[in-house]
Amino acid sequence: MNLHPYLRAYMAGIVVPTVVLVLLLTGFVIARFGCHVPIPIELAMVFPMGVVPSLFGLWNMFHLWLGPHRHLPIGFHGAILPLILMPSGYFVGKTLGILSLQAQGVLYFQSFSIPYTFFAIVLPCGVIAYYLVWKYLIGFFNQVLGIA
Amino acid sequence: MTDNQEVKMRELLKQSLKPVNGGLGRDLWPQMFSRLQPHPVTMPWFDWALLAALVLCLCLMPSAIPVILYHL
Repeated sequence: MNLHPYLRAYMAGIVVPTVVLVLLLTGFVIARFGCHVPIPIELAMVFPMGVVPSLFGLWNMFHLWLGPHRHLPIGFHGAILPLILMPSGYFVGKTLGILSLQAQGVLYFQSFSIPYTFFAIVLPCGVIAYYLVWKYLIGFFNQVLGIA
Repeated sequence: MTDNQEVKMRELLKQSLKPVNGGLGRDLWPQMFSRLQPHPVTMPWFDWALLAALVLCLCLMPSAIPVILYHL
């Protein structure tokens, strides 16, 4: 029963972002080809598709590796992840030319700008969302796979 | 080894080794059964408050949704 715990931790970690990504991709395809949104939103899929699920799995493996005496409760452990993902998303976006920093805010797709104060609200929202997702969903999958 | 020595050796071994308890001290099935039963998820009030704050925030600022979906 206790075979390959890290593999099971990885699999438990990637379930939620994989399901969300399918829905996200559907929304993006509808927006791009159905509603003819004139911005290359497929570029914006690179980071969520390429990095986020793997990072969820690796983060769950890290939680398992820390062990019961050293790790934080899984909700708090997951709430740390946005603090890594948000700057990572910025660097990937900047590399691909999706976004750039301006004086007033972040310019996305050279077309719309989001002020910095907006991010001060978005980041706590992300932290709360991650806390709840990790505590209830990934915690549940960890229990199902016998690693909680 | 003579029969006398063998009997003596057997007695010495019996004295030195503790008797093995073949049975369990308690029934393990109720504990296993309770683990197999689905446990209802109980959310503390603090988590409900966080969820409400998140939903309220996203309702008031729907433009935050694509930013969250991209960055997170």
